[in-house]
Formats: sequence, C-alpha cells, structure tokens
Amino acid sequence: MIELDGQSLGVLEVARIAAGEGARLADSARARMAASAAAFAAVPSVLVQKRKYLVGEGDPGGDLVRAFVLGHCAGVGEPLPPGQVRALIACRANVLATGHSGVRPALVDALLGLLDSPPVVPSQGSVGAAGDLAPLAHVARVLCGYGGDVIVDGARRPWAGTPVVPTHKEALSLINGATLTAALAALACARARHVLSRAVEACALTMAALHADPRALSPALHAARRHAGPQQVAARLRELLGPGRPARPPDAFSLRAAPAVLGAALDALDWVESTVATELNGACDNPLWFDGEGVVEGGNFHGAPVSLAMDTLRVAMTQVATVSERRTFRLTGASLSGDLPSFLVEGTGLNSGFMLAQYTAASLASECKGLAHPASVDSIPTVQHHEDHVSMGPIAARLALRVVENVADIVAIELLLAAQALDWRLRGARFVDGARVDGHPETFAPGILALHAEVRGAVAFWPDDQLMHPALVAVGRLVRSGVVGW
Amino acid sequence: MIRLDGQGLGLGEVARVARERAPVALADDARVAMARSYQWVCSVRDGTAPIYGINTGFGSLARVRINPADTATLSRNLIRSHAAGVGAACPPDAVRAMMLLRANALARGASGCRAALVDTLCAMLDRGVVPVVPRQGSCGSSGDLAPLSHLGLVAFGEGGEAWFEGERVAGPEAMRRAGIATLAPEAKDGLAMTNGAQLTTAIAALACFDAERLLRSAERAAAMSIEALRGVRRAFHPAVHALRPHPGAIESAAAILGHLEGSTLADSMPEKVQDAYSLRCSPVVLGAARDSLRYGRAVVEIEVNAVTDNPVMLLDEPGDNHAFSAGLFHGEPVGIACDSMKIAVAELASLAERRLYRLTTGSLSARLPPALAGADRPGLGLLVPQTTAAALVSENKALAWPASVDSIPTCEDQEDHVAMSTTAAWRFREVVDNSVRVVAIELIAAASALRYRLTEGPVALGRGTAPALERVEAITSAHEVAGDAIEAVAARIAAGDFE
Repeated sequence: MIELDGQSLGVLEVARIAAGEGARLADSARARMAASAAAFAAVPSVLVQKRKYLVGEGDPGGDLVRAFVLGHCAGVGEPLPPGQVRALIACRANVLATGHSGVRPALVDALLGLLDSPPVVPSQGSVGAAGDLAPLAHVARVLCGYGGDVIVDGARRPWAGTPVVPTHKEALSLINGATLTAALAALACARARHVLSRAVEACALTMAALHADPRALSPALHAARRHAGPQQVAARLRELLGPGRPARPPDAFSLRAAPAVLGAALDALDWVESTVATELNGACDNPLWFDGEGVVEGGNFHGAPVSLAMDTLRVAMTQVATVSERRTFRLTGASLSGDLPSFLVEGTGLNSGFMLAQYTAASLASECKGLAHPASVDSIPTVQHHEDHVSMGPIAARLALRVVENVADIVAIELLLAAQALDWRLRGARFVDGARVDGHPETFAPGILALHAEVRGAVAFWPDDQLMHPALVAVGRLVRSGVVGW
Repeated sequence: MIRLDGQGLGLGEVARVARERAPVALADDARVAMARSYQWVCSVRDGTAPIYGINTGFGSLARVRINPADTATLSRNLIRSHAAGVGAACPPDAVRAMMLLRANALARGASGCRAALVDTLCAMLDRGVVPVVPRQGSCGSSGDLAPLSHLGLVAFGEGGEAWFEGERVAGPEAMRRAGIATLAPEAKDGLAMTNGAQLTTAIAALACFDAERLLRSAERAAAMSIEALRGVRRAFHPAVHALRPHPGAIESAAAILGHLEGSTLADSMPEKVQDAYSLRCSPVVLGAARDSLRYGRAVVEIEVNAVTDNPVMLLDEPGDNHAFSAGLFHGEPVGIACDSMKIAVAELASLAERRLYRLTTGSLSARLPPALAGADRPGLGLLVPQTTAAALVSENKALAWPASVDSIPTCEDQEDHVAMSTTAAWRFREVVDNSVRVVAIELIAAASALRYRLTEGPVALGRGTAPALERVEAITSAHEVAGDAIEAVAARIAAGDFE
C-alpha cells in the first residue's frame, strides 16, 4: 500500500500502482487539503468564472458540474490499458494531496476507490494544456455517476460504486492538469531505467563474446571526460566483465564507445526522471490557494516540462536502440566477429540461424527513429485562442512508452545472440572460413556467466534452426522482468 | 467469386476479401502457368547449377550450396527461423489482405511453386483461418519476411497461432478445425511464401482505400464549414483552377462547388471579398492530397498485381537457366508512396482542424455562437472536441516523419539497403485513423453551425451539405458525450456514408 502525501511519490511507486499495488491518501495531507477546500468555499464559483472567460457568458442554469464534466469527455481512440488508468488516478490524487487545489480529502479517497475498477479512458485527444482535460474527464464522469464504463476482472461494465457530488472547484481540479502526461511519463521512466540497465548487461555479454578490449572501460579514461553517465556505465561493464585481455586493433564504436553512448542516455534519463518526479509531487492545477495569499490564477496545468522531458527520453532511448542493434549486427556477421559462424549456428546455408533476429532489431530501431521526432515542438492554438500554446505532452509520453518497449525487444535480441555467441566460446569452438576448429574452452567472469545462465534459463542453445518467435518472446519477457540492476 | 491470376485485382476487391470475406479462388489459366514454372524448378533443384534459394542458402548464405536431399528442409528451416516478428498482432483485415496479395503474386506463375500453395491460402481465406502475425520486426526488404513466415508457419503446419471462429488457437489446430490440409514444404516453397513486401502492400492498400473515402468526406465537411461560415464560392470557380491545372485541385474545387449548389448561405456576405486560407485554399490543399493519393493508389495497384519474389522464373527467356535473381521483393516503391500518402492525409486533417477552430472561435466564425455553445451544450460547447482534433493533428505530425528515408544494413551487409516500408505503411494507417476522427469532429461542428444558421432565418442549404447535416444529427443524437459521438461519426465516414 503506497501512501500518497503529495510530496514523495516516485516513478517506481507509480509503476507499482500500475501493476496492481494499492494506494491511499496519507493522513499527513488531509489537514492542508481541508483548509484549501474551506478557502475555496468562500470564493465565487470557478466554473461560472471559467465559462464566462471561455465562452463569454456565465451560468447558463442547470447542473453546471454535470455539463462541465460531460462536455470534456471528448477523448477518442483505443482505451488506455487499465494499469495506465490506475497510474493516472494515483498521480492525480497525489497532485490534489499537495493541498492547494481546494479539494476535500474525502473526494480523493473516493477517486482512489476507482483503482479497483479503473474507468475506460480513451488514449487520444489531449494536448496536455490546460492539462489532460479529456482523459481526466472520462475518470471524473464515472466518479460523479454521470455514466461511462469501468474495467472489472478484465471486462467492461457500468460502475457500481457510490458517486461523489463535487463542488465546482473540485470538478475543475479533477481534470485541470497534465497528469496523464505525468503518469505515462513515470511509467516510461521506470521502464526505461530497467531497459537501460539490461542494455548495459547485453553490451557486456557482447563485449565478452567478441573479446572486446577492456581498456576502453578504464576509469581514468572516463574520469578525464567528466560526464557522470559514461563513468557509471563503464564501472558497471568492468564489474560484469572482470579483467580481460587487451586486444588490437581497437574495437568498433558500438563496443569501444558504448560507455559514451549508453552513459549519455543515462545522464538524459537522470534529468528526465528528476523532472518527472518533481511533476508527480507538484501542484499541477489551477487556480490554487495559498495560505496568506489566497486564490491565485496561473499556468501550473501546462504540460511543457514533462513534454520536453519525454521528447528527450525518446531520443536517448533511441540511441540505446541503435547502438545495441549494431552490436547485434556484428554478432551475426562472420567477417565482423572474426571467428564466429555466420548467424551464430553451425551449418549455415541450410540453416539461417539468427539472421532474422537482426532484421527485427533493425526494423525496431528504425521505428524508434521515426517515433523519436519531437512532439513538444508542435503547438496548435485551441479554445478560441485562450489556450494559444499547448504542450502535446501526452503524445510525447505515449510515444515514449512505444519507444521504450521497442528498445526492450532490441536489447532482448542482443542478449539472445550474445549468449549464443558466448556458447561457442565456452565450447572452445572457432570458425575459420566457415569451418569449425575446436580448441580450449574459454573462461569468463562470474557476472558474464550469470548473465549467460539467465538467458539460457529462458532459451536453450540453438544447434540449428529453431522456431524464432517463441525465443524472442521468452527473452523479451526476461528483459522486462526482475529488479532494476542499478 | 474473385479469380486470382496475378493481374487486375483492384483495391476495392482487396478490401472486400479482407473485410467482408468475399470468396476467392485461383484462376484456371494461372494454374497452368504455375504448374509450368513449378515443373522447371523440379527439373533443376537436384542439378549441379546453383539457383538462389532453391539449392543455395539465403541472403549472404547464397554462397553455400544445399544438398539436393535437403531442399525441402531448407524451406522448412526458412519458415521457422524467419518467424521473427514481435509486438501486438496485426488486425485481421491486414492479415487477410496480406494472404490475398501473396496468393495473387504467386498466381502469375513466376515463383516456381505449386498451385497448392495458392489453393491453401484461398481455403484459409474462405474458411476464416487468420494467422496471428506480429506487427513489428519487418524491414520490408527482402520483403516482409517475418510476417509472411508467421503465415507460413500455419499454412505449412509448422506451428504458429491463428484465429478461427473467434478463438486464438495453435496453427495446426486451426487448420484441422477448418478442414484444410497443411502443406509439406518443398524446394522454393519457403521463399515463395515469404519473399515480397505483402504486409506493407496489404496495409497500404486498405489504408489507401480508406484514405480516398476520407478525402471525399473531407471535401463534404469543408463544404459544410464553408457554408456555415458564409464563405465566398468564387475561390472554387473552375476557371480559377484551370489556370493552375493540378488535377486534384480541379476535382476538389468541383466537389466543393457541387456540395454547395443551391446554398443561399454561401456568398451571403457581399462585403466579404475573400475567406481565410482554411476555407479559400481547401481545393488546393485537398487537391494536393488527392494527387498524392492518386500516385499512391497507382503504385499500390501495380504492386498488388506484381510478382515480388526472388528468383523469378522466366520460362520464355532463352538459355537453360530460367531463374533470374533480382530485387523484386524490395518494398521501396510502396514505402515512398506510403510516406507521401500519410503526409497528404495529415495535411487534410490539419486543414480540417483549422476550419473547426474557426467554427468554434467566436471572433472568427461570422457570428456563430462562441464555441458553438447553445442550449444543447450548456458546458463549453465544442471547445474540447476542437482540442481533441488539435491533439490528433499534432500526433499526425509526429507520425508523418518519413520511414523510407531510413535504412539499416542487414544480413552481413548483403542486404545493405532496406525499405522500412512496413513501418511507413503502419504509420500511414495510424494517420488515416487519426484523421478520420478529425474530420468527424469537423462534421459534428459544421452540422451544429448549420443547424444554428437554420434558426437565424429562412435559408437553403447546399445539395451536398443538407443531407450530410441530417446524417450527422441522426448519429450524434444517440450519444451523450462528444467522445462517443466522434467515434460513431468516424465509423460512418469509414463506412462511406459521407463521401
């Protein structure tokens, strides 16, 4: 059970909530929330003010909250997966727990009650400023009892819970922030860190199998260039590879410069994640109440900070993709690996071995390049030019999740092929012009042997052609499983 | 019954087979041609001359000769080791179109495989065995190897999975339940099943068909917006467009004028000499999209009726070796066309969104109610659906970056330039799906605006706009929230109700 106090939510907690862990509003957040709710009770209706500002006339009569919430239910496209909706609910609850929104604790308790039956929320249609209005309105619709379906035990059905009756300010605060962007960004960050740590492991396995020169990992070398990420990556690679034999001539860039590339991605991810973590605990809403200052109108709903971060994450992870794919290519090519069989099985010709796995990696890497193009550089004026610059944050975040999943499969392919390559080393087999020459089995550091064993726990050595798809699924599952390496 | 002979298959037929299960069978003439090239392959597969993929390895492994006794194993290994797709499953219509197109490509009789391959594919289409084909992992050269291998796994009884009667089951079980005998692979069979960009072309054919419908619907939506905004018709005069004779612009201008025929709202503001670009330039932008789709359709139609294989058997060429190794599998022609078509459709949607913005913006809408808020919309009118459209248009921009400009060397550098056409085709599909929704929102807003105009005084609507107004209202009246109404109108655009 994760406590939401508006101050300490991290991306891993969001990932755990998405995966099914419960969340509740922390007691420490309740007093300040109640105080802000009392303060907003004393000011004129924010919905009447907002309607006058946006449409030109104030209260049209009737149930304004209902009209407001239903009027924002304009999302389209495939529904978000239920786990992502759970993350959305928890992240919005945490924003409201910061205590500036004028929302009663009881409303957030009710909102979190939806974690067990996440509403059906269309994935598309938000520009991420003034917040992710449409996606959040689809949640608010259910919470207020205005209809809409929820997912229970994998099936879509009407909600059976007790609806809340929100104040005008609460109705606004349920939807007025870029929290879908933040929630998906948190999931993307958590996944990306995990995949990046797996990418370093895959790189180590390939370096071992290709007898890469360990001097490229020298601490002095990386300290001299000062970037933190490359130093961390090089240290992790040294830890996995142990001492090795120097080689001549220098290795290709995908091996020799791996710390620079993967380390740059790590530095980017560190910045991205700190931005997202800040957002998770920030008052992403409008207007807000401050003790001593009263109600303040601002632009805290705007998704720009996280949109920019998600664009950066895609670029960073695409570098991880492209450099991993090149190592995979190197593993499959006899002229590049030097003494491994073409496509890593004996008897190629009749067998194609791992030929197609590299095509798959290449296709996925190319797809990443297309998906890496920035979303935040675009803006389209909306809402009668009141909202004349928008963030496109949810697009940036959804594309980031796609890129990270592609990278997971690319890294999985590298792990699979590197393990196959290492098997030939462990057997002492070399291939000269396609002919097998048996020699002494090679030995490797414990970290490399452990990685090899992990892959072999999922997929057996291929003596000849096997059915490829189940192997890719198994190793893809392996990459996505387990705890973050560092 | 659609008879496949590798020629004359139209995009409408592809859509009917893919989506409505129209029956197909191999044409008798094609059966003769296929038998002839198959017999030649049989006569050479055990011989001493190397023939790519028949008695050699694949890709860079063409340097390796295969023992005559192993040529069937070679086919079997190909299907198994090449089934390297990842990610979510392709939608059934794309898989069915891919099967149809591969069958049609083989029906020309240049691939050296048995007619039984095509018969099996036709039987699978007829009885509804739809292999589970992962969406991702193909570079489009040398063909969509991985996706077609997933089809091959089912057709050759090697495994895989398939949908049958609503259930996802193992490939052999689907074939058994459908009463279709699986094929035992022979020489060249594996290559014949996999060596072409048929997933690319399947996606492209269906998306192109849908995009053409969307384009004609967008012209009608434009006419409705122009009418609601009391636009100036002179911008669509045929003589104007004859001066800059892009065929698409001429057609779009004529279509919009036709929809506006009889309207008393158009040209009803004599003080206005010209409109904003999103109205006035509609024929230019939509016409450019028309021309791009025309080019794309022409490419796709050629590809749908083309042999995409390697090697190809040219039995009428002189000499003993009738197997010609070339690059007919390469997805580039369709990849570039998909990149162009997705840009065209993204622009169509971008223009629609700007007209929608005018409709919902009080200062730009010739005195329509701000946000089109009215008694039926006491909240914020159509401000939020306009935001939805903006989000979809922006997403299109990110997806519209070209895929075919990229290439990553594969296969030990033997396949050193690849098409990435499958990615181009998928992105085209996504852009079309987003854009259908954008035009749906414009239709809803324009209908709302026209309804308001009808309350202002006695006016006549255009020949094409009046029925569209009725049609939109009939759909939207059943839905309480905009998201549901948009999806419902989008579904009717896709079904052709607004062409």
